[in-house]
Amino acid sequence: MTTNRRTPGDVEVTGALCVHYAAPTDERYWDALEARILAHVARGGEVPAWWYALADMSRPALAAAAILVIVAGAAVMHTRQLETRNAYDSVISAAPPSVETAARSASLGDGDATINYMLSR
Amino acid sequence: MLATTITPSVSMPAPIDGAVAERAIVVSAQRGSDDAFAALVRIHQRRAYSVVRAIVLSHEDAEDAVQEGFLHAHRALDRFRPDQPFGAWLYRIMANAALDLVRRRKVRDADELPDNIALPFRDPAESGELRDRLQQALTHLTVRQRSVIVLHDVEGFTHGEIGRTLGIPEGTARSDLHHARATLRRLLQNIRSSS
Repeated sequence: MTTNRRTPGDVEVTGALCVHYAAPTDERYWDALEARILAHVARGGEVPAWWYALADMSRPALAAAAILVIVAGAAVMHTRQLETRNAYDSVISAAPPSVETAARSASLGDGDATINYMLSR
Repeated sequence: MLATTITPSVSMPAPIDGAVAERAIVVSAQRGSDDAFAALVRIHQRRAYSVVRAIVLSHEDAEDAVQEGFLHAHRALDRFRPDQPFGAWLYRIMANAALDLVRRRKVRDADELPDNIALPFRDPAESGELRDRLQQALTHLTVRQRSVIVLHDVEGFTHGEIGRTLGIPEGTARSDLHHARATLRRLLQNIRSSS
């Protein structure tokens, strides 16, 4: 069996509770709340549900975004390293043109080559 | 479905809690009158706020819970029997909406709750150590104990009304009130004796 008789201290605490939990007294507040309630009902509560879902997802989404940024950064770095390596490889492994081919192509046209051939006979 | 620009045109019954007038409004709302539902919101929103405010920890959560509660009530309006007291039915829905919100907050903020108690939305004449200690002490009560003591001591609900609103036996409400008072008395002993 419990007794709910109040002590003087309880009365003081109740006074503090009344202040802490006092409802707003401004009529404009209640007019505004009424409008919000009716708008919420008219929407069928979609927006808050969406908002709650978004809020629930915010932390995992932030973590996923951070991971995505790290992975993307690593991929960009890897691609650049590959491109640099390929550039070096192509320079090192490419065979130099023969001296004859290079000299001929640089100095002689088709007409000059024909004249040279005729004179040499 | 309600339009977002509803302006209640149903006049307020005088007196507001007149059962006959309210029953007529409820029946009208059940037949699809948006204006009638708006009138019910206007009549009951303050009491609904008080019920949910007793359960949740902040004014902002109380506003969210009231909106959710009225949304649930609107959806369940067809199932309400007009011969029953509408207020009791509505406040039970409000209490459930508030408890749902508390559960969601618990899951989300389990680690942060003790340091993340929202302050009241206003700070009128309340000040001093008792207020701060009270706010902290309230977190030591269970949700049900806090709801019971606020509904009883602040809002003036009877044990029976509290039981119907929270869906608990009247004796449980009485017991919760006793334990809530004892806990607050113990936690606030030093500050009260020194003031």
